[in-house]
Amino acid sequence: MKSIVILLSVLLQAAAFAAPACCSTNSSLPASAPTDKSIYQVETTWTSDLNKPFKLAQLTGKPQIVAMFFASCKYACPIIVHDIRRIEAGLKEAGITNVGFVLVTIDVERDTVQRLHAYREQRGLDDNWLLLRGTSEDTLELGALLGVKYKKDARGQFAHSNVITVLNAAGEIVHQQVGLNVEPAETIAAVKSLAKK
Amino acid sequence: MRQFIRITFATLAALSISAAGEPLPTNMALIPATQYRVPYRSDSDAKVVEVKEFAIDRLPVTNGDFLEFVQANPGWQRSKVKRIFADENYLGHWASDLELGGADPRAPVTRVSWFAARAYARWKGKRLPTTVEWEVAALASEKAANGESDPEFKRRLQALYFSPACDVLPRVGSKAPNFYGVYDLHGAAWEWVADFSTAMVTGDARGDTGLDRQLFCGSSGQNGKDRSDFPAFMRFAFRSSLKASYTVPNLGFRCVQDL
Repeated sequence: MKSIVILLSVLLQAAAFAAPACCSTNSSLPASAPTDKSIYQVETTWTSDLNKPFKLAQLTGKPQIVAMFFASCKYACPIIVHDIRRIEAGLKEAGITNVGFVLVTIDVERDTVQRLHAYREQRGLDDNWLLLRGTSEDTLELGALLGVKYKKDARGQFAHSNVITVLNAAGEIVHQQVGLNVEPAETIAAVKSLAKK
Repeated sequence: MRQFIRITFATLAALSISAAGEPLPTNMALIPATQYRVPYRSDSDAKVVEVKEFAIDRLPVTNGDFLEFVQANPGWQRSKVKRIFADENYLGHWASDLELGGADPRAPVTRVSWFAARAYARWKGKRLPTTVEWEVAALASEKAANGESDPEFKRRLQALYFSPACDVLPRVGSKAPNFYGVYDLHGAAWEWVADFSTAMVTGDARGDTGLDRQLFCGSSGQNGKDRSDFPAFMRFAFRSSLKASYTVPNLGFRCVQDL
């Protein structure tokens, strides 16, 4: 009898951890309660590129690498995405795969769900990546929380600061990588130190 | 004497009616539709922007006003506010969560973050002004909608902006209003705007050009084309130094409303 109970509990635990890497709402995953410094305290609702409603609190449970971008950005955003992928690669090498990657668009008018999904397909972003869009007010608020500045110019292009933010499992900002083509070592180290806690 | 009073009241009332003939909310002034020449912009920004008419608070939001807000919205009280929304100096000049102590209820509220100011504006059914809206209201001298052609006004402003900030801000409305009937846009507290984060300043030095492109995508930050309006430049530079959760001893706000 005892061995069956043990077997069942092992199977149940295995099932719990088999949840998809991205966007998991499985409450049995080890989650930290949103703290005073967590940006997941904002209750805003976003839409993912898979056309699902999404609350930031759903990101709880593992570190997240977050950046703001827009799909028609020709210069900096492709470099930001590339920089994130370098971080991703460095983490994989270090055996850390339980990390999410989030891109939030600042071009709320033109970056529709379809456009964001096409962006994902074109760059071959896997399940660990999440693309989000929201209202212009909510996006402004998130930019304010992350310290990302952006401004639309007369042609509808955006000037924006280039920042990659590392959030811990509770949604607190623990590190920011500022600029383009930045060596990822510091950021990778920051994520590594989270995995140890 | 009675006739004089009647005429005065009629004029005051007339000034409070919008173009559509709708009465304005209490204590707000009408800023008519205008065009605004943007002084701090990059080459890809428009030189001139259209500004729709709007109503602006005649006075900055006061300590007394903000006390009402936190009484009704406990989450914004000093000991309860979330650290992501306001830093540790939030409302530091009050005695406690719900007591002003030595803070004058009629002085502009300061030590409030952008998030807090925004929440107050929403609570009032209003919003924060955009930079352009604020600057349009602030362009006015006492006698004209555009004080740029008034050298005496400009001189007074330069003096104000160069003098050190008051430790204790005077009561709102204690000085003469501007042409639109708006008080305290100059010489009191700096004021939050909704889009403060669009002020992205990079250096003028040649060595900064590479830095520009690293820090800011798109334009290479904004240039100051018109250096003669030094107060406007100071405001621009100040805004670009802010983060949304900052609370500053001489930074407050007021609200606007669409008409």
